[in-house]
Amino acid sequence: MSTLLTYISVNEGKIKRSSLEVLSRCNELAAQHGLKSAALVIDADPTPAAVSLKQYGADEIYTIQNPIFKNHLNAPLLRALSTAVQQIKPHVVAFASTEGSKDILGALAANLEAASLADVSEFELTDSGVKAKRPVMASKIISAVQAEGTPVVLTVRSGSYDVVEMESAATVEAIPFEFGDDQLQITLKEIIGAAGDKIDLSEAETVIAAGRGVKDEEARKLVDELASVLNAAIGASRALTEAGVYDPSLQIGQTGKVVSPQLYIGIGISGAIQHVAGMANSKVIVAINKDPDAPIFEIADYGIVGDLYKILPPFIEELKKVKSN
Amino acid sequence: MKFYVCIKQVPDVNAPLQIKDGQLIQDADRNILNAYDASAVEEALVMKEAHGGEIEVVLIGPEKAKEAIRKALAMGADSGAHILTTGDENLDSYSYAKILANFFKDKEYNFILCGKQSQDTDAGLTGTMLAEMLSLPYATNAVGLEVSGENLVVKRQGDTGQELLEVPSPGLVTCSNDMNDPRIPNLKGIMQSKRKPVDTISIADLAGDVTGESVKTAVLSYEEKPARQAGKKYEGEPDEIARQVAQLLDTAENVI
Ligand SMILES: Cc1cc2nc3c(=O)[nH]c(=O)nc-3n(C[C@H](O)[C@H](O)[C@H](O)COP(=O)(O)OP(=O)(O)OC[C@H]3O[C@@H](n4cnc5c(N)ncnc54)[C@H](O)[C@@H]3O)c2cc1C
Ligand SMILES: Nc1ncnc2c1ncn2[C@@H]1O[C@H](COP(=O)(O)O)[C@@H](O)[C@H]1O
Repeated sequence: MSTLLTYISVNEGKIKRSSLEVLSRCNELAAQHGLKSAALVIDADPTPAAVSLKQYGADEIYTIQNPIFKNHLNAPLLRALSTAVQQIKPHVVAFASTEGSKDILGALAANLEAASLADVSEFELTDSGVKAKRPVMASKIISAVQAEGTPVVLTVRSGSYDVVEMESAATVEAIPFEFGDDQLQITLKEIIGAAGDKIDLSEAETVIAAGRGVKDEEARKLVDELASVLNAAIGASRALTEAGVYDPSLQIGQTGKVVSPQLYIGIGISGAIQHVAGMANSKVIVAINKDPDAPIFEIADYGIVGDLYKILPPFIEELKKVKSN
Repeated sequence: MKFYVCIKQVPDVNAPLQIKDGQLIQDADRNILNAYDASAVEEALVMKEAHGGEIEVVLIGPEKAKEAIRKALAMGADSGAHILTTGDENLDSYSYAKILANFFKDKEYNFILCGKQSQDTDAGLTGTMLAEMLSLPYATNAVGLEVSGENLVVKRQGDTGQELLEVPSPGLVTCSNDMNDPRIPNLKGIMQSKRKPVDTISIADLAGDVTGESVKTAVLSYEEKPARQAGKKYEGEPDEIARQVAQLLDTAENVI
């Protein structure tokens, strides 16, 4: 019986929600097609994540443990994945779409001589592979695609599927793996500015996005205050990450991250297609912009035309009131 | 150092698009040098200006795509290789990577630079496929590059922070457009580009087993993205707007 294998991305012991979304989809497909759904954790210390995975319905749980996985490095990750694939012989290897999985997807596909699909928003099984939908042309268009052969390796956009909790009776199986430092070739010299305890932008329920209109300290303070009232993650347009105002990891859009929060509030953002590509799947979109013709208003549920310096102070006060009720 | 930069010509996503019978139709046939590849060319130029070296661009594409090679040459690249397709091959990232791997098999170089993704398809696969096919160490999503002796120090944008990675030669790096603003060719550059050598190579010489049948993925059709309806616009008195919207986000939307 063939298996659908989901790679579970772990950050400091914590499972990324987007991985659980993918696992939930694989569970569902496995049930429909009489296949098995398996989850794989590759980490320096995979056990805590593997244990908490038992709430998410996989038929099998695998781990690969090695101190080398303390930091993201593509060479050992690639080796570990191809080792797991050789053992499990899955029909599909699915990842949440993250910078980590984008770093190895193509190489893994080439290594396995497998077909691959990046950043799909829907996928299903066919007799000979996978059929999927993926956004193209800066997410203006959806393409229906197919991939042939076994396995098909793919990444899934965050927010594409719901997480479904389900008890699993799986026992955890460790896959033997060794990796010598001499196989690394690449040296990790330094890790810069990992945003430690902040809310993970790609998984946040509420996102406040700042654009070029947020041009000084005063405006940034208002953005911070709004974010803290709503317990939101802060993101930015390219205009501000490029200018060094916000960390590049906070960029939302085609080059940056895809977010799909319940609530997105864009402040001083025009709504260029490359930005919209990263946020159009937000459930509710609020835009604050002084230009009534800004393209962001074409997709905003609540389009507030006005100067952010005038709108934000009363908006923050009103939200505080609502929250305290 | 010898740099190869893999470049692609892509349809301009800002040009009007239509879908007819599941086919994507670009009225204007407006094509551009992939923005991420332009950043890769720019970065190679900056490194060459500081440390010397040579830059060759490689493109797989139809005759018309020569424009993108000319653009890169006008920016300052030294030479080009054009692997000429008929345009009807339906190649995917895997087959592009295979063809490029065949091209690079007997070449000598320090680094191959690619864009991190194609601007039209956002696949982001070709670069790391090529690295694996050529058994090269690689880094993706570079937002900064620096020469360090024979090696490249790559600043890679990860999920949260950035990583500084030292990649030995020969190696491969995929570039983000967050790395730089590509220069716009000046008149002198454009004039000079006309005299720079461009090798044309028939795809048949490199495709090997990359025939229609071994292409692993295919686009079946295109469809419009379900449009989001524009909601209500609020103009006027800030206090009043703030009150209304805050209320609705709570009671009507239940998102706060
Ligand atoms: C290949 C490629 C990839 C890209 N990837 C991304 C990406 O991932 N993410 C991204 O964001 N961009 C990306 N871009 C860039 C994108 O095209 C836009 O340039 C960028 O999104 C613009 O940012 P902005 O809306 O903040 O700035 P602008 O377009 O300059 O808009 C600023 C807005 O602020 C408003 N404003 C100014 N002052 C005020 C005020 N006081 N109160 C209220 N409103 C005010 C203005 O009316 C204006 O609408 C990419 C571009 C390319 C070519
Ligand atoms: N036809 C092509 N010719 C040359 N390089 C290409 C071609 N297609 C893709 N690439 C390289 O691969 C990168 C992205 O690949 P992908 O997103 O998989 O299409 C591009 O930025 C180029 O550097």
